[in-house]
Amino acid sequence: MKFIIRGARRILRSVDAAATRAFGWAWNPLHQTGTVAVAMLLVLIVTGLYLLLYYRVGAPWESVARLAAQPWAGRWIRSLHRYASDLFVIAAVLHAFRMFAQSRSWGPRTLAWISGLVLFGVGLVCAWTGFVMVWDAFGERLAREGGRLLDVLPVFSEPLSRIFAGDAPVPSAFFFVNMFLHIALPLAMGAGLWLHVSRLARPVLLPPKRLTQAIIGGLTAASLLLPAPVGAPADAFRLAESTLTNLVTAWWLPVSERLTPGMAWGVVLLGAAVAVLVPRFGRRPRAGALAPSVVDPALCTGCNQCPQDCPWEAIAMVPRDDDRPALVALVNPARCVSCGICAGSCAPMGVGPAGRSGRDQLSLLRSTFLPELARSGNPSIVAVCCAQAPEADTAALRARGARVHPVSCAGNLHTSGIELLLRSGASGVIVYGCPPRDCVGREGPKWLRERVFNDREAELQPRVDRRRVRLATMAPGARSEAVDALDAFTQDLVILEPHLPDPDADLEVECVPVPSEEEDA
Amino acid sequence: MITGARLKRRVVAVGAGAIVLLLIVGTSAAPLPFHDPAMARLRLSWSARPERIEVCRTVSAEELEQREEHMRQRVECDGRFATYTLRVEADDRVVSESIVRGAGLRHDRPLYLLRDFDLPPGGHRIRVTFTRREKTDDDAAAFAKVTPAVRDSGIFVGRAEREAEEHARRARAAIPASLALDTSVTFTRRRVKIITFDRDRRALEVLDDTRASR
Repeated sequence: MKFIIRGARRILRSVDAAATRAFGWAWNPLHQTGTVAVAMLLVLIVTGLYLLLYYRVGAPWESVARLAAQPWAGRWIRSLHRYASDLFVIAAVLHAFRMFAQSRSWGPRTLAWISGLVLFGVGLVCAWTGFVMVWDAFGERLAREGGRLLDVLPVFSEPLSRIFAGDAPVPSAFFFVNMFLHIALPLAMGAGLWLHVSRLARPVLLPPKRLTQAIIGGLTAASLLLPAPVGAPADAFRLAESTLTNLVTAWWLPVSERLTPGMAWGVVLLGAAVAVLVPRFGRRPRAGALAPSVVDPALCTGCNQCPQDCPWEAIAMVPRDDDRPALVALVNPARCVSCGICAGSCAPMGVGPAGRSGRDQLSLLRSTFLPELARSGNPSIVAVCCAQAPEADTAALRARGARVHPVSCAGNLHTSGIELLLRSGASGVIVYGCPPRDCVGREGPKWLRERVFNDREAELQPRVDRRRVRLATMAPGARSEAVDALDAFTQDLVILEPHLPDPDADLEVECVPVPSEEEDA
Repeated sequence: MITGARLKRRVVAVGAGAIVLLLIVGTSAAPLPFHDPAMARLRLSWSARPERIEVCRTVSAEELEQREEHMRQRVECDGRFATYTLRVEADDRVVSESIVRGAGLRHDRPLYLLRDFDLPPGGHRIRVTFTRREKTDDDAAAFAKVTPAVRDSGIFVGRAEREAEEHARRARAAIPASLALDTSVTFTRRRVKIITFDRDRRALEVLDDTRASR
C-alpha cells in the first residue's frame, strides 16, 4: 500500500505542479476539488429546478427535446446541468485521489472517506437516472443495462428489463419513479455531505468566489456555444448503431455490457470493498510524526485557544482534576489527525504532538539549527519551509543564500521560534507555507498569518520587528514565485538598520506554568 | 496594471481552462458503438401465469359439517406450478431450447420471458414452441363442477358458485399448456420483431413497429 501511495503522491505532485504553472496556486482548481464538487451540486440543483418545470413523465423525450429547442434558456440551462454533472464526477474522483495520495483517508478521516465514497456512488446513480429521464437512445441503453443488472437481484417482483421489451408501452410510473429518485437522491446527498464534513471545524464548502465564477462562467459559455445534443428518441423496435454516450458519468457502461450481471456485480462489490478498505490498509502507526497531540496540564492556562484553532474539533476544555481554577484542554486522540496546528496556537507551549510542541520546536532550533546558523558568521535570511515543500524549491532558496529550516507544517510553527531565530542572528525570517487551500492541516497558513500579523493568541511578541518577518507560499510548480518572494524580502531588509542578535533570551521563561492557588497564596 | 508575465499566465490559464471544457463537452456526448448494424433482432417477450397442476378433491358433507361455516371450502387442491420448454428455431436451426419456470424462489409467481436473438436481415422461417413439461390428464380438475353439499346461509349464500368461478378464472388466466408459432418473418437490419403472447387470443403473435402501441 505504501508503494501505491508513494506512486500516487508523485503523480499528484506532477499534476499539481502543471496546474499551478497554468493557473497559479491561488487559482489551482486541483486544490479545490472537494469544494468544486459541492459548487457543481448546487448548480445541478438550481438548473434542475428549472428543467423540472418542463419535464413530463408522460412524454419524456418530447418534453426534453422541446426544452432543448428553447433558444434563450432551456438549451443552455439543460447543457449547464449536463456539464455540471460531468464536472461534479471529475472533481469527486480527483478529490478522492488527492485524499488517497496525501494519506488523508484513514484514522479520524475514515468517516469522511467512507461517506465520500457513498456520495460518489449516489452521484453516479443520480446521473444514471438523469440520463434515463431524457429517454433517448442513450437513456434507453442505460435503462436496459440497469434492468439487466437489477434483475439478478431479488428486488422486483417483475423483471425490470421487460418494461423496455417493446410488447407494451413503457409505463409512466417508471418515469415517475425515476424522476422521484433523481430528485430525492440529491437531497440524500445533502445529508451525506453534512456527514462528510461533520468532523471538520469551519468546513469550507465552496471554492473562492472568483474561481467559482470562472468555473460556472466557463461551463455556461460551453453550454451556449456547444450545447449538449439530445439523442434520437428511444425505440424498442430499433437497434441503435451507436449512442451519444456520456463517458464521464457512464464510463462503466462499455465494461458492464460485456460482463454477465453476476460478474458486473462482482466487480462493483470488489471495487467497493477495495475502496472501503483503503483506510484499513492505508493506516499507519499513531506514533512519531503521526502521534496525536498531548496536553501538558501543568502548562495549560485554560485560555481556550487550541480548541478554537483545531481544524478537526479534536480538543475540548474540561474541568481540571487539580486545585487550579481554570479549565484544561483535553485532546480526543480518535479525532486528532496530528496536524500540529495546536502547537502553534498555545502561548505557553503546552500542547502539540509529541516532539512537535512549541518547546520541542525551540529545543530543536537550539540543538541543531542555531549552532549551524552561528557558524555561518554573517547574518542571513532563514527560510522556514513546510516539510511538504518540493526539495528542488528549497534547494533554489539555498542557492540564493537563505538558510532553510524545515518544519512539519508552517501552521505548527510557534511564533517564539521566529523570535528565537531573529534573536539568534537571522537578519530575517521568511516562512513558506503551502497554498492555503492545499494545507494538509487545513488551516495552517491562515492561523500563522493571524498570529504573526494580527495578534491572534500565541501572537508574535510586539517587540519583534515585523519588517523582518515575511510569510510566503511555496507550491509545486511555483518555484519562481517562492524565489521572487525571497528576493523581494532580501531587498526590503537591505534598507533596514543593522540587526543585533540577542542570543541569551530565554523564551520559555516567559511561558511559565500556571501557578496553583496554593503557590499564589 | 497587468505585467507581461501575468498576462502570459492569464492566457495560459484561459487556454488550459478551454481545453478542459472541450474535453468535458467532447466526452459528454461521445458516440459509443452499441448494436451490430448488419444484424436484425428477434425478441421473445411475454409474461403469463403458469398453470397450476393440482390434484383436487371434493370435501364430503360430513367433513364440511364439522367445520365452521366460513371454513367450508368445497374443493381442496394441492399441487405446484407447471414448467415449460421454450424452443426457438430459425430456418430449421434450433437457436435456443430452455426451460422456463415461474418467477420467485418457489416459482409460484408469473413467468417472465425475455430473449433476444440476433439474425441476419432477410426472410426467416421462425418456429417457436412453448410446451408444458409436466404430463397430466387432470387439467379438467380445476374446471370440475363444485356442487353444494350443504345449504349455505347468510353471507355464504352462493359460495359454491363463486368457488367454481374462481377455479375457472385461475385456469383461464394461466398460459395454455402448449403454444406454437410457425411463420415466415422478414427482418430488416437494425430492426426488432417481437413475438409475444396475446392474452385475448391465447396465442403467440408477431409485433413490429407497425403493430405496437408504444
